[in-house]
Amino acid sequence: MHGNDAQLLVLTVLANGPLHGYAINTAIEELAGTRLGPGSLYGALARLEARALIEPAREAGDTQDKNRTVRITAAGREALRAQLEQMARVSRAGLRALGEAGA
Amino acid sequence: MNVPTLIVSLYPPGVRQRWGTEMAREVAASGLRSWPDTVIGAVRLWTHPGDWPETASGQTRRVLAAALFAEAAVAALLLRAAGPPRFLVAGPGHYPVASAWLLLVLAGAALAAPLPPLRPGALWRLAAVTARTLATPALALLALYLTARSGLVDHPARPVHFLLLGCYWATLAYAGLRACALVSRIGPIAIMPGAGRLRPALFLIGAGFAIAAGQGLASAVHPTVHAGTLALSCALATLATAAVTAAHDLDSAKSAQA
Repeated sequence: MHGNDAQLLVLTVLANGPLHGYAINTAIEELAGTRLGPGSLYGALARLEARALIEPAREAGDTQDKNRTVRITAAGREALRAQLEQMARVSRAGLRALGEAGA
Repeated sequence: MNVPTLIVSLYPPGVRQRWGTEMAREVAASGLRSWPDTVIGAVRLWTHPGDWPETASGQTRRVLAAALFAEAAVAALLLRAAGPPRFLVAGPGHYPVASAWLLLVLAGAALAAPLPPLRPGALWRLAAVTARTLATPALALLALYLTARSGLVDHPARPVHFLLLGCYWATLAYAGLRACALVSRIGPIAIMPGAGRLRPALFLIGAGFAIAAGQGLASAVHPTVHAGTLALSCALATLATAAVTAAHDLDSAKSAQA
């Protein structure tokens, strides 16, 4: 799977709330029907964290395990929204073109 | 060490410390089919230092400097194994600029080298760490040199020949590893290169290896195809690609932060 696709999927499932790595992959499996490979998943998490689109979820009773739970940031929501809107535009244009070609 | 832990150990330290436990669990649960993706992920992350989380202050700079010297050590071992090849060495009958690639690599290494601290106490600690780290490889190299000079092994029997050859390469590899370990160990004491020095250093080293690979390729296919030279050129091209990609990623990370 392409790196950007993996990042998009991770951001999408995190938009529902903070999750840890394994739970992110389970949510992606429910959404897309396939799990990401560990290299793709943790590569995407590292990249998203470096770009400040996700961050460790620090909550009350912060433990080492909690530190591995991540949540989407405001910048991450904005980036996800922009990318999904672009995809929706492409999708509408593509479907329109297909409809015209079929007509 | 089981296979998932071994594969996870291929990742840059920051990533390993941040995600390693979960990643190993995921690799173990997914089994054999997840191994290629995990290894490719490690390679991709090594060439994208801008993505490494920092679990200690200055960790990325320290690891990147050590990786840069590791790359130089790998290239040195490859070139030692190859000869060094005639097409990469300036000299009588060779192209006068044949060694220009080496100047670029040395300039890159000099730029990325940790600088000694100016405080006497820190200098003393730096000397102690250096002596501790390099004492064993220095002794091993000295033993190797004295053995070669002693004349005792001038015409060894075949098994002894292979044993000596193995010792020779193991010693060189060990010396290279310890040199890289030194760069990593002196990190907290010495003045480590920042991104401003690491970026041009990586570009210089990448350019040097790319030129060497180009010279090798030209020599490998003309007048006849030479598989060994071709393999050496491909290895140098891979090292060049890794260095330039990492430098470019540092550039991108800087732009993203700006």
